[in-house]
Amino acid sequence: MHIPDGFLDTKTWVTLGVVSAGTVGLALRKASKKIGEKQIPLMGVLAAFIFAAQMLNFPVAGGTSGHFMGGVLAAILLGPLAGVLIMAIVLIIQCLVFQDGGLTALGANIFNMGIIGALVGYYFYLGLSRMVAGTRGMFIGAFIASWLSIVLAAGACAAELAVSGTVPLKVALPAMAGVHGLIGIGEGLITVAVLSLILKARPDLLETEKI
Amino acid sequence: MKHDFLDKYSSLNSPIHRLDARAKIIAFIGMIIFCVSSPPNAYLAFLGYALFLLIAAALSRVPPTHILKSSLVVIPFVILVAVFIPFLKPDHIGGGYSLGIGKLTVSRSGLVVFENILIKSYLAIISVILLSSTTPFPKLLRGFEQLKVPKLVIMLASFAYRYLFLLIEEIERMERARDARAYRGRWLWQAKVIGQMIGSLFLRSYERGERVYVAMASRGFTGEIVGFGKTKFQAKDVLFLFFALLFFTFLRIEV
Repeated sequence: MHIPDGFLDTKTWVTLGVVSAGTVGLALRKASKKIGEKQIPLMGVLAAFIFAAQMLNFPVAGGTSGHFMGGVLAAILLGPLAGVLIMAIVLIIQCLVFQDGGLTALGANIFNMGIIGALVGYYFYLGLSRMVAGTRGMFIGAFIASWLSIVLAAGACAAELAVSGTVPLKVALPAMAGVHGLIGIGEGLITVAVLSLILKARPDLLETEKI
Repeated sequence: MKHDFLDKYSSLNSPIHRLDARAKIIAFIGMIIFCVSSPPNAYLAFLGYALFLLIAAALSRVPPTHILKSSLVVIPFVILVAVFIPFLKPDHIGGGYSLGIGKLTVSRSGLVVFENILIKSYLAIISVILLSSTTPFPKLLRGFEQLKVPKLVIMLASFAYRYLFLLIEEIERMERARDARAYRGRWLWQAKVIGQMIGSLFLRSYERGERVYVAMASRGFTGEIVGFGKTKFQAKDVLFLFFALLFFTFLRIEV
């Protein structure tokens, strides 16, 4: 889902670059006001954690594999804006060190995986988890929000490529959303497994102040 | 501890490695912006960018095999787009090939789209590879800091980068342990195993983050964000940047 350079036309990458820069800027402002001194090393280490977790592949179907994205998980643990910030840091390092995702497409990638993947996903989680009480609601909310975050991010990716004239929307959107509908199940299972482990081992971590 | 996949050639010594990070950041990223925004038929300009990259690569002494190997990252995306070409709207001017499957045709405009992204994404990725394999990441971050990227971003990125090595090693160890216990990742529901691995990686990372904070606090960290300090822009950096940007502007306007 990491869009390389050259796949988006100028209006698309500039617009998404501005939107993402604005959101990351807002996250930075909120973070530097609310962030305790303790959270700086913590957020840095957690960005490295998301990065490492994304390296684990899981099987999807017919020999293809997907990997964890972690946007919703990061947002549930640290808050929606911190989630955007962490995803942005991960994407910046992936782009510069691993050439995974382009530089001009960085704004689009932060939009898809940070703003949609973490921020929007988080509000789905918030709404859904309130519908069912207790930890069950939390798990159901986390599962559906994780699934949605992947499908919506993939849909946005297809839409951006289509607006740029690179792929036809009518075929690319269902194809991307379909494949990621499966990958999203993996994302949901992983997010729930991680949350239930944290709930057992360090429940205090879920109570920290969100940004 | 040795991580070949990160920063392998960034500490070589060459005229390109010795340039100030800011000059390289502006030149290599500038090239990408100029290149990506060119019209699809600016073939001479693309040749010009390729020439710039070729000279820079030769001067940098980064092995070509490394550059070529790293550039393969774009291939899956290129294939994805290639798959969709027959579904792009058929040409109005005619020309194009029938695939013999229903109404699907490969149109000329579809091929132009494909050629366009193939050339641009390839040139751009080589540019990023050259930037990152001629500049160690801390220097790159210092360059971005001096170019007024917010300090919090720089600091978070430098933390993330530092712990990346450790956490990747940790996840590799966990994978080894998992595989030794006869795990065969074949079905989607086995993602739960990955979930448990990621969960324990999270707890270890979080606790590492806490320990790091305590260690920093005991050494006088007060939450103030300290930068990397400054480097000086020298005559060679000015010259490199001037000629690079002049060349790109020329390619953009004249060719």
